[in-house]
Amino acid sequence: MAETATIPRPRREGRIRKLLERYPFLPALVIVAALLALNGFFSPASLSYRALTGLLSTYMALILLSIAQTYVVYAGDIDLSAGAILSLVNVAIIVLMERWGGGAGAVLLALAIGLLLGLACGLVNGLVVAALRLQAIVATFATSIFFTGLALYILPVAGTPAPAIFWRTYGGRLFGVPFVFYVLAALIVLITVMSRTRLVTQLLAVGDDQQAAYQSGLPVIPVRIKGYVLCGLFSALAAFCITGDTASGDPLVGGKMTLYSVAAVVLGGSALSGGWGTVVGSLLGALTIGLINSVVFFMGTPSEWQNFVQGLAILVVLMAGVLAGRRARP
Amino acid sequence: MSKLKLNGVSKAYGATLALRRGDLEVMSGEVHVLMGSNGSGKSTLCKIIAGAVRPDAGKILIDDTPVTITGPRSARAQGIGIFYQELSLAAHRTVEENISLAALPVKSGVFVDRTALKERAARYILLFENVAGEGFSADALVGNLRPDQRQLVEIMKALASEAPLLIFDEPTSALDRAQVDRFFEILRDLKSRGRGIIFISHRMDEIKAIGDRVTIIRDGETIATLNLAETDAATVIRLMVGGAGDMPASQSSAPAAVDGKDGAALTVRGLSGRGFRNVSFEVARGEILGFGGLHGQGQSALLRAIFGAGSITAGEVLIGESRFDASSPRDAIRRGCAYVSGDRGRDGVISGRPIIENVTPIHYLRHRLMIARPRKLRDKVTPALESMHTKFASLFHPISSLSGGNQQKVIIARWLIDRPDVLLLDDPTKGIDLSAKADLFTLIRQLAAQGLGIVLYSSEDAELLGNANRILVFNGGSVTRELTGADRTRYNLYQAAYEAA
Repeated sequence: MAETATIPRPRREGRIRKLLERYPFLPALVIVAALLALNGFFSPASLSYRALTGLLSTYMALILLSIAQTYVVYAGDIDLSAGAILSLVNVAIIVLMERWGGGAGAVLLALAIGLLLGLACGLVNGLVVAALRLQAIVATFATSIFFTGLALYILPVAGTPAPAIFWRTYGGRLFGVPFVFYVLAALIVLITVMSRTRLVTQLLAVGDDQQAAYQSGLPVIPVRIKGYVLCGLFSALAAFCITGDTASGDPLVGGKMTLYSVAAVVLGGSALSGGWGTVVGSLLGALTIGLINSVVFFMGTPSEWQNFVQGLAILVVLMAGVLAGRRARP
Repeated sequence: MSKLKLNGVSKAYGATLALRRGDLEVMSGEVHVLMGSNGSGKSTLCKIIAGAVRPDAGKILIDDTPVTITGPRSARAQGIGIFYQELSLAAHRTVEENISLAALPVKSGVFVDRTALKERAARYILLFENVAGEGFSADALVGNLRPDQRQLVEIMKALASEAPLLIFDEPTSALDRAQVDRFFEILRDLKSRGRGIIFISHRMDEIKAIGDRVTIIRDGETIATLNLAETDAATVIRLMVGGAGDMPASQSSAPAAVDGKDGAALTVRGLSGRGFRNVSFEVARGEILGFGGLHGQGQSALLRAIFGAGSITAGEVLIGESRFDASSPRDAIRRGCAYVSGDRGRDGVISGRPIIENVTPIHYLRHRLMIARPRKLRDKVTPALESMHTKFASLFHPISSLSGGNQQKVIIARWLIDRPDVLLLDDPTKGIDLSAKADLFTLIRQLAAQGLGIVLYSSEDAELLGNANRILVFNGGSVTRELTGADRTRYNLYQAAYEAA
């Protein structure tokens, strides 16, 4: 009897495992759905079209920053300067837009410079970590201070407003649909395209086993540098969103976001040790963080307890995700 | 035509000479076998050719032209493909991605060309059709495969380099008969198409079946190259062993039998687990039992399992008269079992901490001490360290300030403050210098004389022959032969180790 009872079990576990292997972000998706339901339970209005649009436009920057972080985590590295790059690009484009008069041309030119700045910061990180072989955690922590220093030099105090054309576009509608949904759609196309590139496969192979990748003949150092460059570029995109959302420059705006981005990557089911993960997972991870904050708010938690409950909720979600994700990993 | 030629290639890691002098010539259309005992320098030689290790000296010629190989990429560019003994696979990538990992086909400059990737993988998977086993497919994750299937992927990866010179460093260790036969057919085909192949295996029958010529390496030096058709196994083993192969082990240092009147220190009955099966033996108090055989035949796995750090599926372990099934190393330590690994970095040293902290953790655990009192501990620590002539500036210097040999002495000293009943030594002298080795073995023999039961696994046969009272030879996870008394000779040890499993 015992035997017949135990036979079907491994098969079913095998199926769940296969599913998780193909879509490692499934636990994160379930968690996002559960959090949405919780939000609806405490405040039905929080699930309205308007409220969700607001949530998305507030957390789009974190989503992009988490995606940026994912590419370096793929290779088993980490970037603690992602938030500082975001701040630097934020103040740089704000100051440039103001200097150049705030017209449409000035905005686009400033954004192009912002992207280049993100790329340059990523390149610095890549060279320091991969080429000079410094410890990723400490080295990017150091560059984050350096980038923050630059940001403070460009704009010593928060406050310079963004041109109206910029934040009205970001917060506004296009053909009746909120602009952030176009951003989200473009982002999904972008990460789908990215996932088919050779670079992403190479990043994952390097993160899987760096020695093996080197012995196989992969250009390990250039691959890791490119990972950091990609992170810099996506951090710049995140900076555009935060600028659109806050409509002003703040040299310290991204500092707190760095570790949130790392948390989002882990919540999304990626391995911090590298070689395993998805960008979609990180997107969902960032949404999870956003939804937790919103649940905590709608639950009516007294303000002095909000941080406490947030931290606890992230821990719980992390535990649930880890328990589910552990099965999927070969 | 000479495909590859090595002249006086050498490589040293710190004070250890991994390869003293490598001379080798591989022709087009030949399978050239490399033979040598554990740690004789075969793998180092292969890695030098493949660019994974930079040589200190010597010349490399490909097609009679001198070349410099700066890394694995440069080696590939010069037409060298390699199967790594420890495999070079990405566990979370699929079989097809792994096969082409070094040169992923691209379209539009940046995207992986999935169609080309699949086609290329299919070509090499087809070669092993019907023998790859259940669950093997192009889109399976390598980490989900069995060890033999992973080995097949590494073979396919090496073949996919389509290099004129292919190196296979122990490609058959996990393969079954049918897989090996298929692999040899492929090798013969490659040979007929003029490829040069370097092949390493420890199975005599395989070497006979596929090899044309054999080069023998002993102690980091290439000794001789022979035509396999004109030679026999005994000659090859004799060359690997060196001149004194038939001399018995020095009887003075390791008596053949130990007076077993004090009873058994450690008894193992029918023990099975991951990496070993159905192993039984008994170690008397005062005895040094040697574990011999090739690397990775279950010796380490067995020792770790006894110590509670591995898995046991069947069988029982006794220390003295009482049953001992350690659930964890902590449990094993409390009950008087000690384990010293040769892999100090992973299993021994607490890096970055002072010597005193490295000597005392076992003492703390066994006495459940909560507070560190350095002055009091010093009196206990000093004799333990001095018994092995450990050289150190002060107890508060970091452990990293010591040489490898002295670090290992510190690790062993931590077990000497409170005497254990059983000492398990898992290749304890890996990478340490000769004088430290001598000190270590003097101590081990003293400990045996004081009544400890000692199990010594060593990858160096000389250490076993010089110290063990009996030697169990492992092959494929079980004990295949027991050498006692005058049978304990290098020749017998080699022969037992190299017998086809």
